[in-house]
Amino acid sequence: MSYPINIRDLPVGARVMLATGAEVEIVSNPEDGVWLFGRYLSSADDPAMVGQEDMIFAQDVVAVRS
Amino acid sequence: MTDDRVALLLLSQEIASFLYAEAELLDEWRHDEWLALLAEDIRYWMPMRRNVKYGDTTREFTRETEDISWFDEGKDTLTRRVRQIQTGIHWAEEPQSRITHMVSNVQLLEVTPDAHAPLEIIAKSRFLIYRNRVETETDLLVGKREDTLRRTGDGWLIARRKIILDQSVLLTKNLTFFF
Amino acid sequence: MNGTRGYHPGLVDLASGQISREIFVNDEIYAQEQERVFARSWLFIGHESQIPKPGDFFVSRMGEESVILCRDRASRVHVFLNSCRHRGMKVCRYDDGNTAVFTCPYHGWSYGTDGALVGVPFFREAYHSELDKSKWHLVEVAQLCCYKETVWANWDASAPPFLEYLGAFRRFLDLILDGWDGREGQAELIGGVQKWVIPCNWKFPAENFSGDTYHNISHRSVDLVGAGPSGRSRRDYNELNVARKLHVALPDRGHQTITYALPKYHQPQAAYQNSPEVADYFRHCEEERRRRPGAESRLMGAPGEIFPNVALLPRQPRTLAVWHPKSAHETEVWRFFFVDRDAPQQVKNFLRDYYIRYSGPAGMTEQDDMENWNYAHAASRGTIARRYPYTYEMGMGHAVENWEWDGLKMPGRVIDLSKAQASEEPMRNLYRRWAEFMEAGSWNKLMPWRRMAAAEAQAAK
Repeated sequence: MSYPINIRDLPVGARVMLATGAEVEIVSNPEDGVWLFGRYLSSADDPAMVGQEDMIFAQDVVAVRS
Repeated sequence: MTDDRVALLLLSQEIASFLYAEAELLDEWRHDEWLALLAEDIRYWMPMRRNVKYGDTTREFTRETEDISWFDEGKDTLTRRVRQIQTGIHWAEEPQSRITHMVSNVQLLEVTPDAHAPLEIIAKSRFLIYRNRVETETDLLVGKREDTLRRTGDGWLIARRKIILDQSVLLTKNLTFFF
Repeated sequence: MNGTRGYHPGLVDLASGQISREIFVNDEIYAQEQERVFARSWLFIGHESQIPKPGDFFVSRMGEESVILCRDRASRVHVFLNSCRHRGMKVCRYDDGNTAVFTCPYHGWSYGTDGALVGVPFFREAYHSELDKSKWHLVEVAQLCCYKETVWANWDASAPPFLEYLGAFRRFLDLILDGWDGREGQAELIGGVQKWVIPCNWKFPAENFSGDTYHNISHRSVDLVGAGPSGRSRRDYNELNVARKLHVALPDRGHQTITYALPKYHQPQAAYQNSPEVADYFRHCEEERRRRPGAESRLMGAPGEIFPNVALLPRQPRTLAVWHPKSAHETEVWRFFFVDRDAPQQVKNFLRDYYIRYSGPAGMTEQDDMENWNYAHAASRGTIARRYPYTYEMGMGHAVENWEWDGLKMPGRVIDLSKAQASEEPMRNLYRRWAEFMEAGSWNKLMPWRRMAAAEAQAAK
């Protein structure tokens, strides 16, 4: 179980890792602490997602890469 | 060192006493004497407040002399308000309310030039105003005041009062009294 | 406790000009009003200057309910119910701001500024991608109208469009929204909406602003101290030297107003004497208004009411109030103040000072109105009091139609107040319309003008 991360103030351009192992780059942050808009950089789970943009839910973010 | 501290202690008590005496005048409806404590160029401002996002430090309060506030006026308007009460037919204050101003947490934020011979002070205090009216109408208003006090030959005058009420939607039907 | 049933015909008795106190104090009637009146009337939401950029929002009210006024990424204006479709939590508890999405803090559902449901946590896992997101967007009003930057909305798709709803009253709304010099749509909202709670039914202030010209005694104290812009009284009345003061009531729409009709050739009357610069500015504006083709140059604004709960005061002060129902016994007032967007800063400052000391809870004038509404309501709640109706008989039978003065025509029913001083025609008009709304099953029954137009078209054939 991962410790919770406050995604509210993560900057655009930062990279986060998801529980699935996917890595996402933050495209925009609505600063609600619940969602991010991100672009998939890698996704072992579902390779079709790479390059796709999607909404990322806070509970799915397990680490901040940079 | 000790002299400075003693001077500040005495000054703090002097200012607190001044604010208590002012509250006494308001509670006793001695409004002409209260007006005499206001500098001719006083600014009396009570901004409105908004619920804003965490970290938004600029938009919580309405802006002085730009936006609509609850009060944003000078001595002329304050005097007219007093005169209106004194007509005896200002129905919102006829019969008069019963009112108590409690003043506490008096802090001297800035003393110019120093506590030994101060000419201007910025003092912050908390207020709790209890207002009871007619039969069962009761209002409790709580907040902070930032005052600029100026020393004159006749004692301290209030040159500026900023009133920060801890409400956004105002929960009293009127503001016929002074903070 | 109210010992009577809810609304029934006869509470508003226009034959006698008497209206039962029940309509103000009865909880059941209040509940019925939320359905019959507020759920299908055009209600004032805000002003486009509050939401200038995409993502801007302002939380407003429709009746008792919280709504979000916002501008989406394509700059379209929307009004949504402020409640998550999942479990109801408010999706916005800020008063205003700018956002990309409205996110519910309960389960994380998130909506775009166009109301679309865009974020559903565990959509693939927990919902198996089966939820049809397109069905669960924020509830949006059925109709929305931006008129000279004011925003109005209606939950009822069968209601007539806003301008049709306004009818001939549009002229009076224009008095507050058009420039002082007659240019269209110059009104700018001053930042800061006053919101406060008053202990009375919303219809007390609504009928007062419909055109109570009888209650100067309420304001005698402010007249005595001279809070007006010329240091005398509470406003400038010099136009009474040349104007005819009128009551104008539109029976089929339920809107009504006081207004000042000016003679064909008139000089601007002295006003704003506390500041020569401001006085000059307004004199110049009035002259421009007279010169401008098509501008409304023979009417001066005064208190009026757009059914059901929007009060206009186009002149001194220039303000719009909305009486939001909170309960039968409480109303939340929201007050908006206007200036012309390109008026000199000095004029705006002068007016802002005046507005604050005139209107609102710190308003020396409004305070005495509220005291009267408060205790009129309180004294009407009792068993015995409710047996005795209010009288609205003043000037009954004395209104005229097709009023005209030297080429100036007024719509609806008009009472000339130059001699009469006062009438209650506007109140009778407001409550006639209110009773119609309480009784009509559908909007079809509330648009007699459409039937008349159809009949006229038929007769012409």
